[in-house]
Amino acid sequence: MNRNTITAVAFLVMFVGLGAAYLYLSRDVAAAARSAPLAPAFEVDPLWPKPLPNHWVLGSTIGVSVDESDHVWIIHRSSATLNNNEKGLELEPPTGECCAGAPPVLEFDQAGNLLNHWGGPGEGFEWPSSNHGITVDYKGNVWIGGNGNGDAQLLKFTKSGKFLLQVGRANARQGPANAEGVSTFPGNSNDTASFGRVAKIFVDPRENEAYISDGYLNKRVVVLDADSGAFKRYWGAYGNKPDDANLGPYDPDAPPAPQFRNPVHCAELSVDRLLYVCDRVNNRIQVFTPDGKFVKEAFIAKRSLGEGAVWDIAFSKDAAQSHIYLADGRNMKVRILRRDTLEELTNFGDGGRQPGQFYAPHSVAVDSRGNLYTTETYEGKRVQKFIYKGLRPVPSKDQGVIWPR
Amino acid sequence: MALVSVSTRVLAAVAAVLFVLGGTTAAHDVPDDITVQAFLRADAGRVSLLVRVPLAAMRDVDVPTRGSGWVDLARIDPALRHAATVWLIQNIDIFEDGRSLGPGELSAVRLSLPSDRAFERLEAASAQLAGPPLDARLQLLWEQGALDARIDYPRQGPPGRLAIDADLRRLGQRVTTVLRLITADGAVRAYQWHGDAGVVELDPRWHQAALSFLRAGVGHVLSGPDHLLFLLCIAISLRRIRTLVVIVTSFTLAHACTLVASAYGQAPSALWFPPLVETLIAVSIVWMALENIVEYAGAASADGPGTRALGRRWVVATGFGLVHGFGFSFALSERLQFAGSHLLTSLVAFNAGVEIAQLAVIVAAAAAVTLAFRRLSSPRVAAIVVSAIAAHTGWDWFLERGAVLWQFPWPAPSLPAIETTAVWLAIAVLSAAVAWGVRRLIDRRASARRLTTPRYSHQVRATETVR
Repeated sequence: MNRNTITAVAFLVMFVGLGAAYLYLSRDVAAAARSAPLAPAFEVDPLWPKPLPNHWVLGSTIGVSVDESDHVWIIHRSSATLNNNEKGLELEPPTGECCAGAPPVLEFDQAGNLLNHWGGPGEGFEWPSSNHGITVDYKGNVWIGGNGNGDAQLLKFTKSGKFLLQVGRANARQGPANAEGVSTFPGNSNDTASFGRVAKIFVDPRENEAYISDGYLNKRVVVLDADSGAFKRYWGAYGNKPDDANLGPYDPDAPPAPQFRNPVHCAELSVDRLLYVCDRVNNRIQVFTPDGKFVKEAFIAKRSLGEGAVWDIAFSKDAAQSHIYLADGRNMKVRILRRDTLEELTNFGDGGRQPGQFYAPHSVAVDSRGNLYTTETYEGKRVQKFIYKGLRPVPSKDQGVIWPR
Repeated sequence: MALVSVSTRVLAAVAAVLFVLGGTTAAHDVPDDITVQAFLRADAGRVSLLVRVPLAAMRDVDVPTRGSGWVDLARIDPALRHAATVWLIQNIDIFEDGRSLGPGELSAVRLSLPSDRAFERLEAASAQLAGPPLDARLQLLWEQGALDARIDYPRQGPPGRLAIDADLRRLGQRVTTVLRLITADGAVRAYQWHGDAGVVELDPRWHQAALSFLRAGVGHVLSGPDHLLFLLCIAISLRRIRTLVVIVTSFTLAHACTLVASAYGQAPSALWFPPLVETLIAVSIVWMALENIVEYAGAASADGPGTRALGRRWVVATGFGLVHGFGFSFALSERLQFAGSHLLTSLVAFNAGVEIAQLAVIVAAAAAVTLAFRRLSSPRVAAIVVSAIAAHTGWDWFLERGAVLWQFPWPAPSLPAIETTAVWLAIAVLSAAVAWGVRRLIDRRASARRLTTPRYSHQVRATETVR
């Protein structure tokens, strides 16, 4: 056998071998796909967003929303949550060449470019002492809540930052000073003029109503007229009249609490007009009709203590909104649930500071292509993008960090 | 003078009326990012363009307002018509079989909410334009709305092939146009471009598609500095036509494989893949340049290495051809939408364009190198210096692109990943086998020529002596 024949046979053997391997593996892959349930799959985009200009850095990032153009809006607490070694440019005198807190409201395009920025105190409105939650509604209005001590108001702006509406007054919850002379802020979940540290707002285009997660001090969901801000209705857990009595610390083995615990952290209306409410510390989602009739509840990571597991939710982008993406800032994960049964299919993420990891994932939002955005509070201080890769067989319940494959 | 006076009075009166009516002029900054959505459909007697544009992009329009600056929806129609005429109709031309259909007629216009999803489907967009206007009590600012318009272009005879020239750059800093053509058989063909794409043939004939992609292939090679540098590295070492044919054929076959496979969706879609390919292209330049340096430094002749030294270069060219094919596919992916129904023709044409440009560059570079080296006392040193510069540039690119790539860890092994790898290895083996076969064929023909042609006169003479 000459050299040419040997080379030709080698090529043939390699080609046939690889073809056989492909056929064998494709059978196994197909079998695995048939047996596993399907769930939305993601992979982190480690290059999104692009670096901010002007030596700006983010503070605790406590809200994200996607508008009709798929622009991503975030709100963060900027310098108020930056340590001195993070904001040297702001100190007097400056201690270095970097950095300074970025303006609170930032708008990014799909490529991660910063398009627009604004926010902070101004004429005619009371900017929150601690920003919390951002929502761009169906008219392009930007809604902002706040969970600082005296924050009892919410604000509405245009996308360019022009003030439109304030509902509630700052310090409306301020009570008498305690024995140490410090102001107290008791909740009042039956007030129809102001709130108690609003966590998040959702606007229903059909009825032009705003659903308020109220909040870090009150224990209720409030519904407003989205134009005038007039109170229309409100309710507590199980549709009960809300009660501000102290429930004590959460006990995973105790019967479910008859009221929400603080904070009531999200209220999102689905396409089939069911309202999903995040009862964060009680580790549960409660589902209501738009007029406050209780439908069902589900517990998520029930043994989580401290801040609780149910921080924020967003619905998948299919027409039926078949899945719920749940930010679990206690366990540093995003959980994927079936919306009909509230059963958890899988989760991804783990504690850490690399792309795809989390430090207190606080908020989630989805764009029209199904891509997912998360923001992280405390020392997380960032926004991340997870690219939607379609429905795929669930590889495992705990996927860990979803690096690009 | 009288005319001026009358005009001035009329303008003043119009301004006063607008002021009394509470009007305001929408004059804002040019928005950064605007997306225009459109449907185009040919019916009997007309071509209809349904289009949606965010009103934030339509500036300098007199908008009737009420209350705190809300758009007065009951009186908004003239402002919308004016905006549609100035910002759209005057900047859009529709062509049928190469003939302009003339200015469009605005047959419907309305204001929609930004969250409205009607423009996801033609039927819903048509219904939206025919439906009732927004509730006049709605509180909405001009820049929060979207303008929907139906623009009709009268036409005659059987439907022809449509083209569009929409120069909408003035709408924003970055304008993306998303157009869906409804073909005669009801199929939907989607297009997307940024800024002004010139005349876009929406249903090109095969030769139009072929010519367009041929140009794109040539343009891509000539505008890619990394690819040009790679070709220069090949040209430096070429001394014989046979070597050139073998190496270029290997490279061509290999990149045609990956280019076609990518066009049919067989390339990995992972985020790390484009930076990997870009990094490997940089590696290919470094490799070729270093190989040149090693071969020239160790060559017996001052003119450079012989064919034996570079005999295995076709293997390397095959490997790097696979990589460069993926690189071409990234450039091609955004253009494929303009292939119409001629995907394969367009792919072949793009490949042909790449080949024409490659051969032109190699021949020109080889000729330039030969001429330049002839004038030098030491061509070997010149080749080493040029190769060193190429290697240095390639190394810089490698570091730059590698820095992006290194941000992605190696993917965890999984059955689907192994399955995909097996497919690509099979393609690599097949490419190598074909290239090897071509080389054997060329070798065999060359041997046959040597046997039939008395090339060495002293051998002939020796034979004659024996006789």
